Amino acid sequence: MTSPASSSEVKYLIESSEGNTFDVSGAALRQSNTFNAMFLNIGADGPIPFTDYNEATLKKVFEYCEHSVNEENYSGPKHQDDLSKWDLNFFNEMDQKMFIDVINASNFLDIERLTSYCCERIARMLRGKNTQEMIKVITLPTAEELEAKQKVEEKKAAAAKKVAEKAAETAEKTETLEELPVQQLVQTTRNKLTRKYLSFSNE
Amino acid sequence: MPPFPLLRLPRLVLFEVFKSLNIEEKIKLSLCSKKTSIQINNAQFYSQKVIVDLDMLSHTIRVFSKNNKDIFEIFTYQDSGISHNSNTHQLPIECCTTGIKTFWKNHREGYLSVIRHLLKMFQCKISADTKIDDIVQSQPIISELFDLQVEFKTLTIILDESKYQNFLWNQISNNLGLVKDLNIISFLDSEFIPVFTSWPQEISIICSEWVTLESLLTCTCATIRLDWSYLRNKDLGVILRNWILSIYTKYLYLMSFTPLIMFIPLLPTFSP
Repeated sequence: MTSPASSSEVKYLIESSEGNTFDVSGAALRQSNTFNAMFLNIGADGPIPFTDYNEATLKKVFEYCEHSVNEENYSGPKHQDDLSKWDLNFFNEMDQKMFIDVINASNFLDIERLTSYCCERIARMLRGKNTQEMIKVITLPTAEELEAKQKVEEKKAAAAKKVAEKAAETAEKTETLEELPVQQLVQTTRNKLTRKYLSFSNE
Repeated sequence: MPPFPLLRLPRLVLFEVFKSLNIEEKIKLSLCSKKTSIQINNAQFYSQKVIVDLDMLSHTIRVFSKNNKDIFEIFTYQDSGISHNSNTHQLPIECCTTGIKTFWKNHREGYLSVIRHLLKMFQCKISADTKIDDIVQSQPIISELFDLQVEFKTLTIILDESKYQNFLWNQISNNLGLVKDLNIISFLDSEFIPVFTSWPQEISIICSEWVTLESLLTCTCATIRLDWSYLRNKDLGVILRNWILSIYTKYLYLMSFTPLIMFIPLLPTFSP
């Protein structure tokens, strides 16, 4: 059930990209500035669609929100060393794909605390490394990859151009066909009128 | 663990990540590739404010935070054919324990390239000291930084008989509004008398015998410190009179060689 009330008792239904729905408490949802801006005051009829994110990701994000409901008010980013055991376990449980999905969802939902911890975790990956090691940690497109990407884009553009040209050609043909009877009609009328005029003038 | 697709993160998240990095990490990351550099430059206004200290004698550029807690050093070397991985980086570099070494055709090119790189990344203020030994190198660098309208936190200039110093003065004297704290050291026997067409926020002059009462009264600096001043009692009387009349409302620190007044520490800004 969804309700416009902002009490922590109230549960909201969240819909994921798979079309599945699940409950999240109002208190947990209130950590999302996006939710606050969109639904808190006006309420929501039916499930709230966060359909850009899958169920597992959303559940993970709201698991964090549910946990941090009872924590003291957020007062800016913490250093990774200040994270609690629960926080560390929460992050360690995730594989890279899930971690990226959680960052994206947290960014969209504008959950400051979670986004900030995720960013600190990424910064930690780079900490104490030289440039060579940093390059290994982050995915950087190589020159070949960039060239290949450019070629694919060029091919795509060429294909799109061809399609557009064909479409234009077809449209032109259709236009000609559509116009033909009218032109013929005009021509026939003209011929008839000319013949009539000539016959009159002969008389 | 597969490499992390850092640059595919949403823009705001990426900016948050950059915020979490210290000066060293951010500089190193910016040198990883052109793409990382562009992204870091895009986040310049979210970046920390730094002071870029140019130590021309030791060919070092020191980047540090305002509280001095976060310091990173970049050394510029003339390229001596040492193999370095310039193909993979934004600048030709080698990492070392205290910072990074960068390699250039000459120090001037090195300094300017590194400073331009830093100016795009951080909100920078420059701190520079033009010593007699390195004026030949520092003069074109300082001049170019003025041309780029870069703000200076401190600038120390030694006015001597050398054409470089005087040439530098002529180039920057109409842009001193970019300088917060200007220190001028002139020699007692120097014949060069600087003409001010603009003023810094604060000025300190050592061997200020050439400073006249007229220039002092036209000076717009909030704080003026004159060491080894040869201002006479009569001149000081005029300043005091102006101060009493609230015309002269600047802090003036004065160390005089004249026998009667040895030290006048302060003329405060409040009205009498």
